[in-house]
Amino acid sequence: MKLDVNALGTFYRIAREGAGLAAGRLTRMTGVDTRVGVTKLNFMRGKEIRRDFEDGTEKVGVRVELSGGLEGHSVMVFDRDSALRIVKTLLSESDAEEFDEMNRSATTEVGHIMNSGFIDGWADVLETVIDVSTPEFVEGRSVELFFGDSDEMPGEDDLALLFQSHIEAVGTEIAFSHYLFPEHDSMASLLDRLRTSGGIEYDKLDGFDRMAQQGAEEVANTATTLTGIETSVEIRRLNFLSLEAIPQEVADRMLVGIAFEFDGIPSGYLLFLFDEESAHEIVDAMVPMESDEEGFDEMEKSAIKELGNIMASGFLDGWANVLDTTIDHSTPEFIHDLGAAAVDPVIIQLGENQDFAFVFDTVVVADGREFDCEIYAIPDEDDLERALNDLDVDRVDDTPTTAEFQEVENTSGDS
Amino acid sequence: MKTYGSEPGIPDPVQVGIAELAVTEGDDTLKSYGLGSCLAIALYDPDSGIGGLAHVMLPNGDEAENSDQKPGKYADTAIRALLRRMVERGASYTSVEAKIAGGSDMFEFESFDESVGQRNVEAAIDELEKLGVPLIDEDTGGKHGRTVEFTPATGTLSVQTANGDAGVTEL
Repeated sequence: MKLDVNALGTFYRIAREGAGLAAGRLTRMTGVDTRVGVTKLNFMRGKEIRRDFEDGTEKVGVRVELSGGLEGHSVMVFDRDSALRIVKTLLSESDAEEFDEMNRSATTEVGHIMNSGFIDGWADVLETVIDVSTPEFVEGRSVELFFGDSDEMPGEDDLALLFQSHIEAVGTEIAFSHYLFPEHDSMASLLDRLRTSGGIEYDKLDGFDRMAQQGAEEVANTATTLTGIETSVEIRRLNFLSLEAIPQEVADRMLVGIAFEFDGIPSGYLLFLFDEESAHEIVDAMVPMESDEEGFDEMEKSAIKELGNIMASGFLDGWANVLDTTIDHSTPEFIHDLGAAAVDPVIIQLGENQDFAFVFDTVVVADGREFDCEIYAIPDEDDLERALNDLDVDRVDDTPTTAEFQEVENTSGDS
Repeated sequence: MKTYGSEPGIPDPVQVGIAELAVTEGDDTLKSYGLGSCLAIALYDPDSGIGGLAHVMLPNGDEAENSDQKPGKYADTAIRALLRRMVERGASYTSVEAKIAGGSDMFEFESFDESVGQRNVEAAIDELEKLGVPLIDEDTGGKHGRTVEFTPATGTLSVQTANGDAGVTEL
C-alpha cells in the first residue's frame, strides 16, 4: 500500500465532514447542540489502540460492518453515562439506569443513524455504494468487545490505519467517539485510485514508526535517569491530521514547553510539553534549591531546558541512526504559556508549504507522581517522504537507538 | 476535550478555532484561545452591532490554492470574508472598524527566516488599508500567548495574556 499525502488528505477531509454530518443528525434527533472535535487519521499498533481505548470506564458501542466501495467496520463509542443521557433525552419516561431492551434499541438506533451519517460522506465523495450491515449493540470495557473480532483489529505489534473523530454536545456531559477501521486491501485500492504522487510505502512508515517507538522508550529512560522519577511511555501514535487541528490537541491551559527545530532529512520541530505541576516536580528533582520566585527562575528554566535537550537527543539520534543520516537540533527554547500558543508558530511555519502533517505523538508519565509530558515531533512533509523512501526497513531492528549522553552547552541564560 | 461553562443563563462564547471565522451581533461573544503567532482579527460596525472574529494562521491567501475553501486561514481572505458576511447581515461597509491582537514571536528558530507572527500582522494591516477599514487599536507582537474575546455590540476586544502581571487588556 502506498500512502500519498494528497489522497490521505482527501480521506481526512471526508472523515471530518462525516463527523459533522453525524453530529448534525444527533442534533436533529435530540435537540442538543453538538460540536465536532478533532478528527484524526491514526496509525496505531494493536497494543496502543488497547491502551488508548481501555481507560477503565464502561463503554457502549454501536457497530456496523461495511462492504462494497469501502470495506471495514464503523463503530460509535459512547461513555456509558453519555449513552444513558442520550437515551433520557429521547425517551423522556425512561429512568435509563440500565440498558434494558428499550434503551438498547434506542441507543442502537442513534448509533446507527450516526454511523450512516459518517458513511454517507464517504460514499458521496468516492462516488460508490457502501453497504452497511445491521447494527450491533456492544457494552463493556475491553477493546476486544468493540473491535476485537473484526479482521481489521491489528495484532499487538501490527500497525493499523484508523480514523477517529470526537464529538461532544455543547453544555452537557455527552461526549463520544467514532472509529472507522477500513480493511487493509480496500483502503489500499482506494488510496491507489486517488494517488497523485509517488507516495510513501506503508511498510516503510511501519518500519519508521517501530523505530520511533524505541525513540520514545529512550526518552522515558532518559527522563528517569536525569530526574530519578520512574517514567514510562503511556501512549504513542502516529497521526495524520490537518495543521490547524494540531494546536487543538493541546490542553487549554498554561504549559511549560521546550521547543526545538531539527535539521537534516527529515527536518522539522520537536516539542516537549509539561503541565505546570510536572514542571515544578521536575525542577524539584533536578535543582535542590528552593526558589521563592513565581513561575520559573533562570536556574529552574535551565534545568528544564537541559532535560529537554537530552531527551531531544535521545529521540532524534534514534531516527538518525536508522535513517543512516545526521539530524541536528537547535538549542532549546523555553516557553511558559498557553498550550496552543506554543504550537501555532510551528504549524504556521510548516503551513507555508503543506496543509497536513504527520505527527509523532507520545505521552510519557510517571506512576504515582506528577510527571506528564506530551511530545510532538512534526517533520516537514517532503523531507519525511524523502527520508522514508530512502529507509532500509531491515536496518530498523539491528540499529541501536540508544543516545549518547553529550555535554550540554548553551542551555543556560539564553531563554 | 474542552469543558464548557455550566453557569445557567450566560451563553457560552462561540469558539473560533484556528483558520475559522464567525460573524454575530449584539452581546454574543466570540472567543479564540491561545493565540501565539496566529492573529485575531475583529471587525465590527458600531452602528448595527454586527461584527466578526477571524483566527488567522497565514498572511497571504491570494497565493494559496485552497483559500476559497478556508478563507479564515489567511489574513487577507479572512478580512474580505468577514466584511462580506457582515454586510450580508446588514452591516454598513463604510462604518466598519477593526482591531487586531496576536502575532507574537514565540521562538527564535533559524528556519523562521522572517518573523512568522509579524508577517501576519503586516498582512492584516495591508489588507485593511486596501479596503479602507480603519484599524482602531492593536495588541500585537511580543513573546507571549493571548486569549481574546470579542463582543460586537460594544466593539470590545478583550485580550488576556498568560503572564499574570499584564492581566486583561481591553481594546
